[in-house]
Amino acid sequence: MDDPIRLLLILIPALPLAAAVLIGLLGPRVLRQQSHWLAIAAVLASFLCSLLLMRELSFLQRAAGAGGEVALGIGYEEVRRLWTWTDVADAYQQPRTPPGESRESLVGGGSRDFRIDIVLRADSLTCMMLVMVTLIATLVAIYSAGYMHGDPGYWRFFAYFGLFVFSMTMLVSVSNFVLLYVFWEAVGLCSYLLIGFWYQKPAAAAAGKKAFLVNRVGDFGFALGVFLIWTTYGTLNFHDSLRGGELEPARIQQAVAAERAGEVVPAEQEPVAGVFGPLRLADNELRPAGQPRTSAMISLAICLLLLLGACGKSAQFPLHVWLPDAMEGPTPVSALIHAATMVTAGIYMIARCTPLFLVSPDAQLVVSVVGGFTALLAALIALTQYDLKRVLAYSTVSQLGYMFLALGVGSLAGVTAGMFHLFTHAFFKALLFLGAGSVMHAMGNVIDMRRFGGLRRVMPVTYITFAVGCLALAGVFPLAGFWSKDAVLGAVHDKVHELEPHDSDSHGPAPHGPAPHGPAPHDSSPHGSAEGGGTQAVERPESSADDDVTPVFGLSNLLRGQIFHWLYLLGLMTSFLTAFYTFRAFYLTFHGPELIPPEAGRHAHESPASMTVPLGILAVCSALVGLLLDRSYLDGTNSFANWLLWTPSLGFPAAMRTTLPGEFHLSVAGWSTLMALGGIGLSSYLYLGSRHEIHGIRQFFDLAWVSGWSDVESFARMRQWRVARWVRECSAAVGLEWLLRLVVGALLLVVLVLSAPLLLLYYVSPYKLSYHRFYLDELYELVLVRPLRGLARLCYGIDRWLIDGTVNFVGRVPRQIGDVMRSLQMGLVPFYALAMVLGLLILLAVQLLG
Amino acid sequence: MNELALLQNYLLVGGLLFAIGLAGFLVRRNMIVMFLSAEIMLQGISVSLVAWGRYHNDWGGQMLVVFIIAVAACEAAIALALVLMLAKQTGRLDIVLWQDLREEGQPAYVDREVPEEREEDQVWPTLTPAGIEPEVDPEEELHRSRV
Amino acid sequence: MYLSGAAHIGQAVAGLWPELAGGGGLSAVAGSGLLAALPDWRVLVQSPTTWGLVCGAVALVLMLPRGSAVARVLGGVVGLVALGLLAAGQPLLSDWLAQGLFWILAGVTVLSAAAAVAMRSAVYAAVWFAMSLLGTGSLFLLQGASFLGVATVVVYAGAIVVTFLFVIMLAQPEGHATYDRLTWGWYAKPVSVLAAALMVAVLTTALPGIRQIDALAALGESGAVERSAGVLHPSHMARFGAELFSRELVSVEVAGTLLLVALVGAIAIMIQGRRQAQAEESAR
Repeated sequence: MDDPIRLLLILIPALPLAAAVLIGLLGPRVLRQQSHWLAIAAVLASFLCSLLLMRELSFLQRAAGAGGEVALGIGYEEVRRLWTWTDVADAYQQPRTPPGESRESLVGGGSRDFRIDIVLRADSLTCMMLVMVTLIATLVAIYSAGYMHGDPGYWRFFAYFGLFVFSMTMLVSVSNFVLLYVFWEAVGLCSYLLIGFWYQKPAAAAAGKKAFLVNRVGDFGFALGVFLIWTTYGTLNFHDSLRGGELEPARIQQAVAAERAGEVVPAEQEPVAGVFGPLRLADNELRPAGQPRTSAMISLAICLLLLLGACGKSAQFPLHVWLPDAMEGPTPVSALIHAATMVTAGIYMIARCTPLFLVSPDAQLVVSVVGGFTALLAALIALTQYDLKRVLAYSTVSQLGYMFLALGVGSLAGVTAGMFHLFTHAFFKALLFLGAGSVMHAMGNVIDMRRFGGLRRVMPVTYITFAVGCLALAGVFPLAGFWSKDAVLGAVHDKVHELEPHDSDSHGPAPHGPAPHGPAPHDSSPHGSAEGGGTQAVERPESSADDDVTPVFGLSNLLRGQIFHWLYLLGLMTSFLTAFYTFRAFYLTFHGPELIPPEAGRHAHESPASMTVPLGILAVCSALVGLLLDRSYLDGTNSFANWLLWTPSLGFPAAMRTTLPGEFHLSVAGWSTLMALGGIGLSSYLYLGSRHEIHGIRQFFDLAWVSGWSDVESFARMRQWRVARWVRECSAAVGLEWLLRLVVGALLLVVLVLSAPLLLLYYVSPYKLSYHRFYLDELYELVLVRPLRGLARLCYGIDRWLIDGTVNFVGRVPRQIGDVMRSLQMGLVPFYALAMVLGLLILLAVQLLG
Repeated sequence: MNELALLQNYLLVGGLLFAIGLAGFLVRRNMIVMFLSAEIMLQGISVSLVAWGRYHNDWGGQMLVVFIIAVAACEAAIALALVLMLAKQTGRLDIVLWQDLREEGQPAYVDREVPEEREEDQVWPTLTPAGIEPEVDPEEELHRSRV
Repeated sequence: MYLSGAAHIGQAVAGLWPELAGGGGLSAVAGSGLLAALPDWRVLVQSPTTWGLVCGAVALVLMLPRGSAVARVLGGVVGLVALGLLAAGQPLLSDWLAQGLFWILAGVTVLSAAAAVAMRSAVYAAVWFAMSLLGTGSLFLLQGASFLGVATVVVYAGAIVVTFLFVIMLAQPEGHATYDRLTWGWYAKPVSVLAAALMVAVLTTALPGIRQIDALAALGESGAVERSAGVLHPSHMARFGAELFSRELVSVEVAGTLLLVALVGAIAIMIQGRRQAQAEESAR
């Protein structure tokens, strides 16, 4: 094939799929314990293809940028059509001025086809996701070969694995909401299969079910969002095309020109502007500028529904409960799916839909608030968990919250920061999970941190790599986490300043932030201008997104600024907590007296090379990836952000807002480093020394002293006090003992009444809240699961007793009749004769009288 | 003679005989009495047939009665042989003993209570003594079947 | 033709179901449906036949097993009353002598039959049956069927009843047995008797319908001449024999074969039974 991009786009998902199919077919008979070779080879090839694709794309982008043809705000994309999936003619009657489009439409009115082509796209965002997913998947596949060794379902694991990689690569490379939904569900299915991989274990089966069901809630929202996008924009494609399916940009331009000129074009030649296609983005057709509130409502509704879907997949606050339970699956799965790749699908989707979110600042606010709140909540829960993998799971939820926080900021800095955090997080979280898996492997599947400790001498490689991962997660200076977390906090910080009221106009230069207008900082650098040469190519008629969109919530900029300020503080707080719980887990596992559970047996040694090598690679990546990609501290260049800038959806905010990435905030960095070091220090102090302090602190947060106060016996002991005795004797001497008794009794009553809330507090003490995950699972159990189960019982009862009963009754009637008839068959000859005579009598009567 | 009245009277008598035989057949449990009842029913039929034959001036009725008598003789031969067989197996002529054809699980019919035989019912047919009284061993007298 | 026949015989039938014999009853019979065909209840109540049947049923119930000797005697009395009622409901024969003779014979026949059915002892039952057969034979003679009258007595009373008695002696040497004093269920007696009574009721209700058949034959009582040349021929036996061996020859042969087969069958059954008994004995 002479089109390398097309070939690569097909190969990347096709190879893992082929591997999955082959393993599925040959695994149980032929491959057996050798199944991993096929999977590793396919995923590795897929990774190499991804790299090649990236290279090809960067050439193309440079060429386009050099030619100055493509505006930055529109980005650069390559789309390739494979075949047409469905084509329903005239499925949608497009109004001349749809609510989401400001002008007399550029993309024709009249009817639209419900046409879904299998179109794969290559743009920066997709490439980045492809590289990340396939790289992590390769390493995890190698690791799994060691970890899953000897498992009876070895081949099954790798078949699922291949299927998952296929689904995920397709998820990020399709260019249509329906297909996105399809593969969204496909990764959900793979997740379900892999969580419940050890389906004989009831907990694993239940966890798989839970993940699937919780995701259904989110997917329901996502589906509704997709429907709403269809009715609002009349298309589900990301890209522009002609109605006949033609994708060639030149032809599209031609058709648009023809249409604008008022020519009558054949139906096949009508341009269809994709939701994130250059046509719509270039003319900023997405925003409901100057539109009535309803359109703002629609934008908000679309965004919130998409957010619901993202919350399900990326485990954000109300729907996060499935992720910690998903740790029942094999550890490589936890690393691959539930830390590095699948859970980022929600982030990817939000990032992809950035243009949609940009037109609804309220939705952005919601995204940020959800993210920030989840980050803090999960971090608080992670503080007290004893299950190593669960700590990491909550940490994942927390970090995903960070990403949402950044995405909600909405500026290019925010979005790229979110994606950057996603990218780095994939490395160090995969590293941590694989490290935990290594520990688990050595400890005979024991994962409770109270049962092992001091493993640093037993497992030196794991120890070192895990330490790197922890440092990266905590965000210590040169490691990856530092840069990305910093970018997130910096973006939020900028947003706060941007929203602060200014004297002159709403978009004057902020004290810290970059100038929203004028030449962006990175433009001054030669590198930046080379890449983002088209930045100013499109002149924005509007100045700021916030001015011309109607906020539905009616929050003032001031209030929103304050909210973002709190979110910023929340983020800092979370970074402190992150450092603390990460190192708590680290110290509990690797430091302290050596403690090895009996389950470990002779396994308590370092893991095999197939497991340690991926750990090493990931550790190196975690350490360096931030440093290499984010050089904003040097020259303000963030290669990662500059690369992402070429994505159509992501270039859009830059074009709209011109807040460009790469600003390095020393103050933010300082604060976050301070927080991280503080957290590390505190946990070092508490967990490296004697365990007494930590016990005391736990007692304090558990409000143990409250139980003392609410204890009646402590009052009884008060009678022994000398003063009490003296008072009693005195009053007895005076003869007023009854008065004393009355007073004391009344006092006791008052104290008891007052201590009731304290007692209540004791049962929801901060420690208990955290340990019991804020009782969210219990709450869901009470509010959702129980009533649903009751309803299901009711339905079952109706089905069982009413419907089955009716059917059974109908079935039983002949039987009952038969039983009655049976009782007539009593074997008595005279009875038969009598029956015969009676029958004869009837016949006779009919015959003679009738 | 009033032929129609004659016919009707005979038919009534035939019907009555038939009905009495029927009731006896259905109510009695002694197989031989049941046969007697069946014969009575046949008598009823015969009476009706003869009456019809006369009324219609047709020999057919009487012919049929001849055959009925023949068939009754056959029936008596076969049935009595069978009854004898059955009676030999159980020692009794009770039709209720033969209820093997009942449905599985159906309880067998058993007499709830057997009435006491009263003294006044113990009436035996007696034959007028004639000839020389045979020598009978007292032992044999004790065990002899009572007829 | 049908109507003329009906009118012709209607007077003779009038005594039986008075209203029914009139126009109304006939139309009711002609009307469709079983219920519509049932006579009016007033007619039923006024008719002695109804009460005769009720009395007869009561008599049977009294006489049949689980009744005492007193009840049997009482039953006999009620049976006599029933017979009287029935006779009262029947149309008159030519004169009182014939009427009286017929009903005496009929009474003997019917009451003996009832006694045969009701007796506890099978021996008594057989004796009463023989009595009933004598009555039947007499009734045949009254009908002019002299051969049948004699044959009945000879064959039945002479052969079959004797066979019965033999079998009774063989099979029931103990005499009285409990099952002779019992029926086989609480409902057996009432339902059976009711069925029997209903059957007679149905048959008698249908009697007037005879006219329809008879109207075609158009014989009735006016056919004395034809009868004297037919079934009432003076040389009865010769005609009977000629009829039997000409028109019914094949039937006679079949009946003879049947008798032979029955004879063989009876012997076969007995031999089989004897073998069985021997096998049981040897097994013992």
